[in-house]
Amino acid sequence: MFRRTRTLISIACVIALTLTGCASSDSGSDANSSSSDEAYRIGAILSLSGTYAGLGTPERNAIELEMARINDEGGVHGRPVEVLFEDDGTDEAKAQAAVTLLIEKEDVLAIIGATETGQSMAVRSDIERAGIPQVSMAGGNVITDEFNEWVFQTPWPNRLVVPFTLAYLKDQGVTRIALISDSGGYGKDGRQVTLDFADEYGMEIVADETYNRGDADMTAQLTKIKGAEADVVFMWSAGSEAATILKNWIDLWGGGPLRFNGDSSSDQLVAGAPLIIGAPGNARLELAQGAGDAAEGFEFAAGRILMLEAYSDCVGSLGVAEDFTTRYTDAYGDASDIFAGHAYDAFNIIVEAMKRLPEEFSSADLRDEIEKTADFVGVGGTFTFTEQDHNGLSENDIVMYRIDGGVWTLVGGD
Amino acid sequence: MGGSELLQFVISGLKNGSIYALVSLGFTIVYASTGVINFAQGEFYMLGGMFSVWAFATFGLPLWLAAIVGILLTAATGILFELLAIRPRKDGDQLSLIIITIGGSLLLSSLARHLFGPDELAIPAFTSGPSVRVFGAAIERQTLWIWGLTITAVVILNWVYNKTKLGRALRACAINRDAARLVGVDTRLIVTVSFALAAALGGLAGLSVAPLTQTAFDAGARVGVKGFAAAILGGLGNPIAAVAGGLMLGLIESMSIAYLSSTYKDAISLLVLLLVLFVRPQGLFSRSRREKV
Repeated sequence: MFRRTRTLISIACVIALTLTGCASSDSGSDANSSSSDEAYRIGAILSLSGTYAGLGTPERNAIELEMARINDEGGVHGRPVEVLFEDDGTDEAKAQAAVTLLIEKEDVLAIIGATETGQSMAVRSDIERAGIPQVSMAGGNVITDEFNEWVFQTPWPNRLVVPFTLAYLKDQGVTRIALISDSGGYGKDGRQVTLDFADEYGMEIVADETYNRGDADMTAQLTKIKGAEADVVFMWSAGSEAATILKNWIDLWGGGPLRFNGDSSSDQLVAGAPLIIGAPGNARLELAQGAGDAAEGFEFAAGRILMLEAYSDCVGSLGVAEDFTTRYTDAYGDASDIFAGHAYDAFNIIVEAMKRLPEEFSSADLRDEIEKTADFVGVGGTFTFTEQDHNGLSENDIVMYRIDGGVWTLVGGD
Repeated sequence: MGGSELLQFVISGLKNGSIYALVSLGFTIVYASTGVINFAQGEFYMLGGMFSVWAFATFGLPLWLAAIVGILLTAATGILFELLAIRPRKDGDQLSLIIITIGGSLLLSSLARHLFGPDELAIPAFTSGPSVRVFGAAIERQTLWIWGLTITAVVILNWVYNKTKLGRALRACAINRDAARLVGVDTRLIVTVSFALAAALGGLAGLSVAPLTQTAFDAGARVGVKGFAAAILGGLGNPIAAVAGGLMLGLIESMSIAYLSSTYKDAISLLVLLLVLFVRPQGLFSRSRREKV
């Protein structure tokens, strides 16, 4: 009897290890070392499989597109730039393995990555030990808030997104918000920053629920939130679960669309459901497709790249974004998204710094030069790094979107 | 907490529970005929959704036909998997067979990623419309479908097991494979059939959940773990117990969210599972079988 128990427990342990530890490794490095004599080598750690594969794939596309463009234009100091891709499988242990490989074996000058916050943080000790600059494409606040001289970040961190969103909600008369967040890195970070800023904007957190990735149903969490009578639900989820949450929420209320609680300007007599507001991680077309009608009225803050109209008052970025999205669509058929934009910015910030340096330079020189980046007009906004600020964006680079008729529209943009 | 809220938690628990139940049925069927825990079961769940979306979106088949195509293709995958990976190693010890199923699971999800891409895919609900109201609680129409399909599958399975020749052979295999072979049961065929059945049930679960959650190449692993837990909770090798285990697991999760914390719901259900294993290793709903040594 006990032997059977032991067997079952050990099997359970084996499967747990399998699931976390050993998905296949997709080494994108095809280059042999002889050709590297003249190429500048940059490592990229992306989530090309696992939960965030939908973010990592456009990032790789963008980097490959930019690498080809720069090399066609003659490279840097007449030498080509070579990016070595490693897949972290949306897994922190694999991200660590990848960074060790890139630093020790491939001898890269800089690291782009990772796709998600957890993996970006997981590689930090190796980055610091080796003295290699890292430019992350993840939106977690901790990445540049827990400051490290070697680490830079291209998306709008949550310390910009949260005040922007809360200020917007405050303007609409919202005082009671409920939180539902992914228990993983991005959700945890967003939840914490929201809790930190809530008081400042006079917001009361009336419910605080989490879910795990892969959960098929959030009705139980949302029932609790519904009972707490929140004006607005603030959702932190960058995965496919966001669509499930929207659908469960609308079903719980018996129909949509999402609207502000007590919004008197609305001429709709039917009640609808209190608004769910999201974050840049929701800026994926799959959300609107997956949630269908349940996404009607869903709002989220994100950068301007989703709609070229959003660049109205920043002409420089518009040109960059227009050029990039056109080339991206020509090359891949899909429209570029914010994640492709983050990768564009990360790669070009590094390349621009390399161009400013003499032909021979070290990783430490490159770090210093990246920190001197000023008024770099990228897709995500205009970057100016300082010794204290390794993100360099401001709230001006974010706008509010709403899903209307299945497509993104600008809130207050007309 | 009001009555309608409590009812809502129960509904949510039963909805997740019936998904777990369908997956755990697959574990149980394969375990009964082979004595092996098939860790690729979760991938059948994923494939059911993927194949249906593919048939629906790429070939424009009507939804019901796409669903049938999804189940059939998943069952075919189950048969292929058994023929190519399990049968050649049939006489290997159980541990190596289990490792083979783990490898098969990784292979199937990687293949799905290459064939269908990394993004999540959507399929519409079987019947559209607002949720149904029962005593102030909301039930999504798709949930009714999931329940209906689960009940249908269990009833059919029960009929097959108890009333047909195939069912007698399946049960004979479960009791003693060698003895079954001696009385003329084609045990190799039975193992193949049980993989096909398990894959079809997993596929059915996957495609009926896909309208709610969307589906992606990596959807299988976590559901597989939950289904495995449900099978253990109920008692491996007994279909009714597996269904009961699935429903219980769903209810435990939903009640932990209601009364404790959503952060720890998985930890709480794992704790319950471990307690059950220590107190009743044969599972909650299985009769104790003394193992002969």
